[in-house]
Amino acid sequence: MTHLAAARFVGITGVSWLAAVAASFLLIRLVPGDPVEVFISHVNIRATDELIAAYRAQWGLDESLPVQFILWLQGFLSLDWGVSFETGAPVSGELFQRLGWSAAIGMGGILTALLLGSALGFFASIKAGGLADNVSRAMAVAGQALPAFAVGVVALWVLAAELRWIQPFAGGTVERLVLPTALVAFFSIGSVSRLVRAGFAETTQAPYLRTARAKGLPFRLAVWRHGRRRAAIGLLAGIAPDLAWIVGGTAIAEIVFGVPGLSERVIDAVAARDYPVLQAYIALVAFWIILGLQLCSAMRKALDPRPSSAVAKA
Amino acid sequence: MRRTITPSGIVGAVLIATLMLIGAMWQPLDPHAVDLQATLQPPSFDHWLGTDHLGRDVASRLLAGAQPSLLAILIVLISSLGIGLAAGIAICFGPPGLSAFLRWLAETALALPTLISALLLSALFGAGLVAISAALIASTWAPYALSMAALLERLRSEAYWQASLALGSDTLGAVRRHLIPNAWPMMGALAGADAGRAVILVASLGFLGLSADTGRPEWGAMIHEYRIFLFSEPQLVLAPVFTTALVALVLNRALDRGHRAG
Repeated sequence: MTHLAAARFVGITGVSWLAAVAASFLLIRLVPGDPVEVFISHVNIRATDELIAAYRAQWGLDESLPVQFILWLQGFLSLDWGVSFETGAPVSGELFQRLGWSAAIGMGGILTALLLGSALGFFASIKAGGLADNVSRAMAVAGQALPAFAVGVVALWVLAAELRWIQPFAGGTVERLVLPTALVAFFSIGSVSRLVRAGFAETTQAPYLRTARAKGLPFRLAVWRHGRRRAAIGLLAGIAPDLAWIVGGTAIAEIVFGVPGLSERVIDAVAARDYPVLQAYIALVAFWIILGLQLCSAMRKALDPRPSSAVAKA
Repeated sequence: MRRTITPSGIVGAVLIATLMLIGAMWQPLDPHAVDLQATLQPPSFDHWLGTDHLGRDVASRLLAGAQPSLLAILIVLISSLGIGLAAGIAICFGPPGLSAFLRWLAETALALPTLISALLLSALFGAGLVAISAALIASTWAPYALSMAALLERLRSEAYWQASLALGSDTLGAVRRHLIPNAWPMMGALAGADAGRAVILVASLGFLGLSADTGRPEWGAMIHEYRIFLFSEPQLVLAPVFTTALVALVLNRALDRGHRAG
């Protein structure tokens, strides 16, 4: 049964990823503008027809679309991500150097948000209308209603210009890792805490909690023991928008604090229509989001003792 | 899922929208007029918020910068309301296959990273309102469709709904008479959130340096252009920063909960 579930997990993740990547591949190819001409206009050489034909052959552009896609897929899986139109350097090399920064900020951001948001949500559920509940609500409002770059720029201004605690763009760990991670986390803590709070709050109303209290369990301990599974299920069910947010939030955070991560390169690539870089970036982002969604849904199924038919009805 | 409109939220949202409309059409000074004799002026009676490094009037640029946001709000609200309504009705009344597919599509759309989609669409179609609106609509229609479907499910068991059908009304007629009036509070709340998201997304792309036309005033593009002055003339950067944040916050606060731009 476990093998079956694992195979199903890998299958669904793989198929969804392939679908997302194929759709973006098709979209890029359908847009007018020949990649070779874009490249030629960048490197600013006078191109003969032979040269153009040679490039087309080298990049496999003279093949049919399905063949092109399979060639690209083979290359991507063997870590040969093509050559940048803009710099002429291998895309995989350029992106690998930068991936570490982005992954650290994104992962750090979501982990911080999960830890702090869960704690905040738990205390918010203990006393409705209490301090933690109000903080959690305010963070949720800030998270959805404020622009991330505005919070980042104001933070940078206060910390560097007014308080002079940090040296902006000096390349230290605080500026390049701690602050961007905090910015990404700040925008997710609120929504995580509301999801967690909702799960625990249901428990505080449940008859079994009264029983647990009658047995002599302290209130908080009773809520924690009897509510944590329900809270985790609720969190996993509602986390999808935050998984997507992490990607965009990391991009904003990198630009605000001058981190040499993926986003800087991708924004250049957007301006220059550097399709090999964009295609590789799409594949990476799609992988992160689809894997995240699948992991959440698998964990939710593992945690939820009800059969899935009953969950669908509820 | 509590989604309600508060009266103060509505007043604030209408006020901001009116201000944006006025700003888009009228500015005290020409937002493009370069005056190299009067660069980086502090705020004065002539220049309410001072001038930038080219001597352009910052207040006029802020007002004119409302235009792209306002356009994006209009495009996004009309499209996602329309698509969401249609998809919600299809989820509820369509054949089971279509219904399941649309529900899956809507839930998938919630996981689209809006900012990244907008970035990539900018690469394909050029940075501008088309890319921004398409990226926003791709994810904003989903909450409308899902909450519309949920509302319809609930309505179906109501006595007045069944009475309406028993009296010979067809489904679409009943939808128009009973669903739409019931849906207004929720739709309005979602629309407030989406208007806020549209403002944030337009400004975010500008901030990343991808606005359609760097010459035309736009809040995010202003921050991008002025960010080198953050430590010498902070008011240049902070004026558009606070404008964007205030507008997004007020539009968003017309509601209780929603989803986030990003």
